[in-house]
Amino acid sequence: MSKLGVFDIAVRYGKVPAVNDLTLHVDEGERVFVSGPNGAGKSSLLKAISGAAATSHGRIELDGDLLTGRPPEAIARLGISMVPEGRDIFGSLTVEENLRVGTGLRRDAEAVEEDIAEIYANFPILGERRAAAAGALSGGQQQMLAIGRALMTNPKLIMVDEPSLGLAPKIVDQVYDTLCTLQEDRGLTLLIVEQSSLRAARVGGRMVLMRGGRIVGEGNAADMVDRDALAAAYFGQSPEKTETAT
Amino acid sequence: MRSQHATNRLASYSTPLILAVLLVGLVVLVAVFGDRSLARTAAETLVRVTLVVSLWIFVGNSGVISFGHAGYMAIGAYCSAWLTLKPQSKALFLPDLPEWLMQAQWHVLPAAIAGGLLAAFIALLSGAAILRLSGIAASIATFAFLAIVNTVYSNWEGVTGATSSVVGLPRYVDHWVALGWAVAAIVAANVYANSASGLALRATREDEVAARASGINMYRHRLLSLVISGFFTGVSGALLGHSIGVLNPDSFYLGITFISLAMLVIGGIGSLSGAVVGVLLLSVLIELLVRAEQGISINETQLALPSGSQEILIGIAMIVVLIVRPNGLTAGKEFKLKPQWLRQSRLVGAKSTN
Repeated sequence: MSKLGVFDIAVRYGKVPAVNDLTLHVDEGERVFVSGPNGAGKSSLLKAISGAAATSHGRIELDGDLLTGRPPEAIARLGISMVPEGRDIFGSLTVEENLRVGTGLRRDAEAVEEDIAEIYANFPILGERRAAAAGALSGGQQQMLAIGRALMTNPKLIMVDEPSLGLAPKIVDQVYDTLCTLQEDRGLTLLIVEQSSLRAARVGGRMVLMRGGRIVGEGNAADMVDRDALAAAYFGQSPEKTETAT
Repeated sequence: MRSQHATNRLASYSTPLILAVLLVGLVVLVAVFGDRSLARTAAETLVRVTLVVSLWIFVGNSGVISFGHAGYMAIGAYCSAWLTLKPQSKALFLPDLPEWLMQAQWHVLPAAIAGGLLAAFIALLSGAAILRLSGIAASIATFAFLAIVNTVYSNWEGVTGATSSVVGLPRYVDHWVALGWAVAAIVAANVYANSASGLALRATREDEVAARASGINMYRHRLLSLVISGFFTGVSGALLGHSIGVLNPDSFYLGITFISLAMLVIGGIGSLSGAVVGVLLLSVLIELLVRAEQGISINETQLALPSGSQEILIGIAMIVVLIVRPNGLTAGKEFKLKPQWLRQSRLVGAKSTN
């Protein structure tokens, strides 16, 4: 059985459909990229899984537990952590308070201290600036903090929405290195929205292409980059047409 | 690493200590040098500190502006009056009170606590409905709550005396009693703000979506802070009633709603220190303006501000502060001991034990 199962879901904002008839399975320990043009419904898919957007059709399951209809905080408790687009850290709280926010539910106080120490070991800069207001960190540091915060709820699945948004390429490399290391160390499952399919190919994993709220292509990220499916997703042509055109 | 976290915590617990020392210092000055009218002003100011700090417990941590707190004040004030008034005057002014309440003659302290508990209970009921809304819609609903409380208390003749004032409350609240409750409210506010629930609530104030994605049940934490806030607000209402000795539903309506919010905004909504500073500064300003309206005579020439200029000048002061310091005078900062000092003193302590 797959870790995360998304069965035939639809998400609408008013009458505007954002996601349609979408079915997706993610296996335990897998790394899946969701790519596609603006407005393809990538973020809406993540929001639907995390409970921030309501689905109008279909169901979503984690380890066979139904997520559909649950509030976001309940879904977070079941083991899904989301790093929202634009990072959304709590700017006026200190770095350490940001990390502790997600631990209010946990009764294992000692493990919380160990986890915080581990995050400081993974991200030394956060340890140095633990008493600083999170809003005063640089963009890359804020992204690290958002990932650190997501780890504090002991998730099985972490969803990251556009980790490269507004960051220098070198910093993006660091962010992905960190994510991959964490995945190996903890056996996490990752679902990442990434506009750059080149980046996805370099990091490696499965890639799902979306367009107009639907999945239009799927495969190994490295194979997908030079395939026409990409062009089709972005420009709306079917692969056959592209072939005849070239 | 834990010790650094512990020192940071210790530093945040120094805030109520500093604020309490500040208030005790002021009261001692007033007690030693002040006349009776100054002592009364000090008592009024400290009742307002209790009120605004209670307001901050909810507004400061949740970020939701409440216009309904004067309602919780009224509930606490009337409850304490029912429990402490002489049975004869209750029979005369409040004939519809139930028999046990009619005969009740409680000591003032349990009566104030009962007032707080009733207000907290009403906060639980009203909050359960209001806090399902978010943002400005919740604020408007708190205003509706205030209007409901005012309408009920202004018309329930046999129980609240309606618009005719309830008189004869024991006037036991002097500056020392008010100081005690103000410090209690400050300590409670600080403990709550540093608790797991307070932290969670501040996170929702920053970003609702991210907070919920971190597993925070926003509704529950908002409700908890409103109940704690409601308790101390109810107590502050009881204190106000027992400091002037007279109750009228309109003492707990728009006037006090806006002055308490103005104090909170001018001091800085983001910190407990801001709430206290706002009350102290505005109270001094109000007192000066009231005296200026009464007039000062210099060499037989009577100088006085036209009456009503107090409200206008306070409005102007608020606008100026909002322009110059949009986040209030303290801008979200707390008065506290620096963690470095605490660490140094710990090191010294460790050395001396060796």
